[in-house]
Amino acid sequence: MAEPVLEVGGLVKHYPLTQGVLFKKQVGAVRAVDGVDFTLLKGETLGIVGESGCGKSTVARMLVNLERPTAGTIRYRGEDITRLSGRALKAVRRNIQMVFQDPYTSLNPRMTVGDIVGEPFEIHPEAAPKGDRRARVRELLEVVGLNPEHVNRYPHQFSGGQRQRIGIARGLALRPEIIVADEPVSALDVSVQAQVINLMERLQSEFGLAYVFIAHDLSIVRHICDRVGVMYLGRIVEIGTESEIYDHPTHPYTQALLSAVPVPDPGAREHRERIILSGDVPAPTNIPSGCRFRTRCWKARERCALEVPPLAVPEEFRASTGPAAHDSACHFAEEKQVVPPE
Amino acid sequence: MLLEVRDLHVEFHTRDGVARAVNGVDYAVGKGETLAVLGESGSGKSVTAQAVMGILDIPPGRITGGEIHFRGRDLLKLPEKERRKIRGAEMAMIFQDALSALNPVLTVGDQLGEMFVVHRGMSRKDARARAVELMDRVRIPAAAARVRDYPHQFSGGMRQRIMIAMALALEPGLIIADEPTTALDVTVQAQVMDLLAELQRELTMGLVLITHDLGVVADVADRIAVMYAGRIVEAAPVHDLYKAPAHPYTRGLLESIPRLDQKGQELYAIKGLPPSLLDIPRGCAFHPRCPMARDVCRTDIPPLYEVPGGRRSACHFWRECLEDG
Repeated sequence: MAEPVLEVGGLVKHYPLTQGVLFKKQVGAVRAVDGVDFTLLKGETLGIVGESGCGKSTVARMLVNLERPTAGTIRYRGEDITRLSGRALKAVRRNIQMVFQDPYTSLNPRMTVGDIVGEPFEIHPEAAPKGDRRARVRELLEVVGLNPEHVNRYPHQFSGGQRQRIGIARGLALRPEIIVADEPVSALDVSVQAQVINLMERLQSEFGLAYVFIAHDLSIVRHICDRVGVMYLGRIVEIGTESEIYDHPTHPYTQALLSAVPVPDPGAREHRERIILSGDVPAPTNIPSGCRFRTRCWKARERCALEVPPLAVPEEFRASTGPAAHDSACHFAEEKQVVPPE
Repeated sequence: MLLEVRDLHVEFHTRDGVARAVNGVDYAVGKGETLAVLGESGSGKSVTAQAVMGILDIPPGRITGGEIHFRGRDLLKLPEKERRKIRGAEMAMIFQDALSALNPVLTVGDQLGEMFVVHRGMSRKDARARAVELMDRVRIPAAAARVRDYPHQFSGGMRQRIMIAMALALEPGLIIADEPTTALDVTVQAQVMDLLAELQRELTMGLVLITHDLGVVADVADRIAVMYAGRIVEAAPVHDLYKAPAHPYTRGLLESIPRLDQKGQELYAIKGLPPSLLDIPRGCAFHPRCPMARDVCRTDIPPLYEVPGGRRSACHFWRECLEDG
């Protein structure tokens, strides 16, 4: 097995809700991320899926240190980066880069493409000697499939897909080990999405990158990821290999999520069972007791309101070595096939 | 036919030149039928719908040709006063972003009731009662209490239900839904789509579903029209189109989406970018990206050929495309 490059333990991010102007007192908290654990192995792609508000983007931002966690650890090669500051933090950051969702707002409109892609070298001058930078930028543009002659153009002169390539080139500049990509293709048209996904896969094998791939589109995640974690209201409810999650899900939320995805095959309409969840996701200021999914779960019983189910291999499957034996936070976990096999 | 669009042309005058957004679109929807209009951004799918509804911004937009027949009348020949009576009462539209489509300073009850006050001349009190009924019908819990709430007090899925309720208020014959579930999460998307399909069956309405999502189309549509650069490039019953596309663009789209039920290899990607509407390529607009393109494609615009099985394809080589599929 490959070595772990990132180990996340008990990660928590709460945003306080305050009342009063002069004497602020805390009246509650938005529990955006509420205890997340996972490990990222060298060179693999870990997908994190979930609906809006489940905390997946907050996790991404904490991984690259754009947010300080309220509690928990993020270990990069054994070192807890949440405690670092100054020079030590800067050194670590070189190795964990981010690609953002919206290629229209994540590039400075007043900088040329060359300046955008070259900016990481300004911050980390040790990565490339000064005279070398121009050439490095052109090389990077070529790697992501852009014309190196366009180095003096501005972002508005490019299409959405090309801009996302610029964002990826910037992320690659410092030769990081890990790239955290937050919905990197969801703003793109279908025909352009495939181009960017193929590019990301090619770069991964070329540079040995590990990806944390955050997305809400379950089909894309299956395509690109080796392992997948499903988040609900600030926690991972199920995590396993791509086939464990898609072909042998045991958590009811994962099953509902998968069954709701429209499949581009009109023939599947008849013989596909759909689990339609009732209601909406509860507010992260007011998380249900016990299992946080119980308010929408068709299996919920008394125990679910009292005990928080741990993220572990459920009792039922502990003896088995089959694909259902993976971590799932449900008291009544049951294997159920919801994605029809081909 | 309930609605028939014939050879519609729409252009926009911009600072950079004339953007030809719609270049000869034909489609038809019958009673109780769902037509999906599929296309990427800039394909003209929404502009066509806006022209049908009569909510196109003119200027900068301009309808330069074509006819839109609805229940036997050519809408483009009617005075605005007549069209106003049709809009809302006989045809209604559901927008993608319910938060910006609803008025933030009026309660949802007032907005729903307004339909009855304006079109049916009801009193405010009766209209309020009808609003509660409608909210019940789209399954908003505790409708009687929530009728006094403002749009921001509802979740995204609930707001989209209110939009559906508003569109259904006067039981129109035709509903145009422009990406109705794109802004919603997948579990909520399924709820809303099911509701819409159920109400459509109940009221035997015609539904034009505008979307870019091939999955949503497969789930609900009867027929499908694929648009590219302001034209329909392929139209077919939904099963046939997925089984064997008759246009290389459709085939490319189908092959380029990752599938939930399989772990694929490298994705097929259509090369290049969609064309700028200011400068649509000569001949077939898709030829610069088409793997089958030949000389004739660079010079002659392909007509919408009849393909056996009640299908149509705007490809000179639709036969080959069908055989390859």
